[in-house]
Amino acid sequence: MTCKERIPEIVEYARRRAEPDTETRAHLATCSACGERWETERQLTSQFRIMRIRAAARRPLEARRESLMRDFARKHKHAPMPAWVWALSAAAVLLFAAVLGHATRNRVRVNAVPASPAIRTHGVRTQQTILYEASTDASALSGDEDFIALPYAPPLAAGELIRVVHADLDPDVLASMGIDVDPSWASELPADVVVGEDGLPRAVRIVDNTQF
Amino acid sequence: MPRSDEELYRLMRKGDQDAFAELYERREPALYRYALHTSGSSIVAEEVAHEVFVQLMGAGARFDESRGSLESYLYGVARNLIRVVRRQGPVEEAIDRAIEHDILGDLISNETTAALHRALREMPDRYRDVVILCDLEERSYEDVARIIGHPIGTVRSRLHRARALLSAKLKWLNAPAEVLSK
Repeated sequence: MTCKERIPEIVEYARRRAEPDTETRAHLATCSACGERWETERQLTSQFRIMRIRAAARRPLEARRESLMRDFARKHKHAPMPAWVWALSAAAVLLFAAVLGHATRNRVRVNAVPASPAIRTHGVRTQQTILYEASTDASALSGDEDFIALPYAPPLAAGELIRVVHADLDPDVLASMGIDVDPSWASELPADVVVGEDGLPRAVRIVDNTQF
Repeated sequence: MPRSDEELYRLMRKGDQDAFAELYERREPALYRYALHTSGSSIVAEEVAHEVFVQLMGAGARFDESRGSLESYLYGVARNLIRVVRRQGPVEEAIDRAIEHDILGDLISNETTAALHRALREMPDRYRDVVILCDLEERSYEDVARIIGHPIGTVRSRLHRARALLSAKLKWLNAPAEVLSK
């Protein structure tokens, strides 16, 4: 066995503060380099022991420990909820969402029903079909060139719900709305009428304008 | 049968203060000593050992059981904290001054011990860690291999290399003055 191969053995003997076996002892007695290494390794082990004893003399600071435990208690002041509480909470939220969704759908449906099925055209009721509903304002309506804004009609409020209804309107009805009517018009005219939430017409669009 | 560190950690995360206290009692002293030997300052060591547990109970604790033991994680946190302290500047306090009521102090060579401490602090982390864990903490090669995440053979070879470096330092310290002056 070479010196290099013996070094790990020497180190381990020194670490364990054990006596080397006979063969190693014989080598250490004859090899000055290994003998010297053996002595420094033993000294190193002794020094480590001193360092270990010194470091172990320290007692943990009770104040630090207490402050750490206080911090921990503060952080976990509210005990964690058991799993069943979480499940119950989730179920309650889902139930609430379902009820809320149902109520919202009903409200939309109520809104969708025309408050006044007939256009209040100065007492003249006409046959009409709701084309669509939208929330708009007067400026948006005036931007549509097909619609003729009715004079004297009260302005729409911003965001007011309007309905566009299709109706066959008598020329007299149109005239009553303030639309210039050609005396030659004899029959009813198909028209789209913008109606406010109050049921009053705000604008008219003649769909079949062949008579103009 | 004592509960494992990991089990205590899981309980601690659920708010079990007794588990946290048990973990603290079990690991804090060794973390303090590790920090003391690595930094050379008892003040730094106290701070580091405390801060490791502050971080552990904080929301940012990133311990992942699948990646290693909790003990390994705690040493890793301590090592990083000491690096931060070192980056801030040299630690002035001498280790021997930090130990009060040192019974053996008069009986030993303070100079040699202090020099060995300095040599240990100046070693690369990979060598110093195995010296501290194997020889100062007297942990088995298996334990240290688990803590540092390397094979036992690597631990043993690093330890032998580290001891060779420290032995050379000791040999130099022990050399007669006339030899050193040459």
